[in-house]
Amino acid sequence: MNLAPVNGELRQTLDFGEYLDGLYGYAMVLSRNSAEAEDLVQETCLRALRGMNGLRSNDSAKSWLFTILRNIWLNQLRQRRTVPELIELDADGSGASEPADSRQDPHADYLSEVDREQVRAAIQQLPVEFREIIVLREYEELSYQEIAALLQCPPGTVMSRLARARSKLRELLAARSKSSQSHEKGANRAEA
Amino acid sequence: MNACDEIVVKTLRYLDNDLHGQELEDFRAHLQSCDDCRDHLESEKALSLTLHRSRPLYSAPATLRDRVSALAIQRSVPESHGIFGKRLADALRRILSWRILVPATVVLALCLALVPNIERNVQAASYVATAAATHRSYLAANLQPGLQSNSPEAITAWFSGKVPFEFQLPAAQSTPGENPVYRLTGGTLVDYKGSPAALVTYETEKDKISLLVDSSRSAVVAGGDEVRSGKLTFHYFNYSGFRVITWTNHGLAYALVSSVSGPAGASCLVCHQNMADRSNFQTLP
Repeated sequence: MNLAPVNGELRQTLDFGEYLDGLYGYAMVLSRNSAEAEDLVQETCLRALRGMNGLRSNDSAKSWLFTILRNIWLNQLRQRRTVPELIELDADGSGASEPADSRQDPHADYLSEVDREQVRAAIQQLPVEFREIIVLREYEELSYQEIAALLQCPPGTVMSRLARARSKLRELLAARSKSSQSHEKGANRAEA
Repeated sequence: MNACDEIVVKTLRYLDNDLHGQELEDFRAHLQSCDDCRDHLESEKALSLTLHRSRPLYSAPATLRDRVSALAIQRSVPESHGIFGKRLADALRRILSWRILVPATVVLALCLALVPNIERNVQAASYVATAAATHRSYLAANLQPGLQSNSPEAITAWFSGKVPFEFQLPAAQSTPGENPVYRLTGGTLVDYKGSPAALVTYETEKDKISLLVDSSRSAVVAGGDEVRSGKLTFHYFNYSGFRVITWTNHGLAYALVSSVSGPAGASCLVCHQNMADRSNFQTLP
């Protein structure tokens, strides 16, 4: 989206779509709450705009933005002084976000959305340290070094944590797949 | 760690094309002789494919895009605003590929006006963005059902107890013998900053109009083209293809959204031309 002010007009001139979906996705897996995720992203952008002059030219802007978001989230957790109050999404993940990118084929679009909801629901079942590493690596494609800097842990830890997260995610997806297959069989039997 | 454990650890690096030389050859050799590790590699590949197909995992809602856009407007710094301003503008472009395409002098004037009350203006822009996003939902018939009525009294009664502020919709005061250009169509509740705000809807012959109302304790009104009329100050914005007019009165913040264009007085007169208060708007620029 593009924005700039002109004589009282709020005119669109700024393009940030590349980062906004990713930031929102990361905020969603951290908070598991859409309203909280929106606030996290808005606060991240506000702080990024304030601190823009502190960004060195060789910094990765993307990991910088994700680091800001994570720090805000951690600060909010500290302020609450308790375990995060996580509001679980529905088991099927419905209502978690707006529909993702549109495609030409409505049927393919429908199947893709069904798959996406299954994956979203499975990821949201993971512990938070697994959720965030899956998103940062598999969806945002940050390097191990960037993730290590963001999470403030050694790259080796990132790799082993990612391997464990993927293993757990595979189990959850397999279980969901098995569950939906047995539901289908049950429905078919009822129809027969 | 036995050979299979090592393969499991190296599988992700293999999928990332990060194994080279002898290490890669050893990995491949082990796979040829071990069914379990081949199965493991295939399952990792399948997972990667599933995750790749589910991109993007979440898409930012339009309301969030509007909110962030509002922030960007308020924080824009012109290139001509000293070295710091230039660095900030450069960084904006570099980081988010944001392009400032407006004349630097106009931006400078606006930013100089905004800097002293930046937080207040950020909140004000958020109210404008919310009003515009809500209006878009109204046009698309995506609002939650409320009350459909052309009676100000009925709508006032419906909002009573549903919004955390006192709100009384005034009756239209037409000039005798003439009908108002717009008509009241109803009201519903919308969310602003996590609490209910009132949305009143109107129609003219050609246009739909919405009026977002919230307590001025939570909704801030500022910025835009300011026009004074009596004790009120109206703030005019063209936002996302809509004309948004905001003002405060008796502790309430209003944001009127329509597609009516033109200067301040003229756009007010579109609706108030047959009203008893039209003289108030004929003097506006």
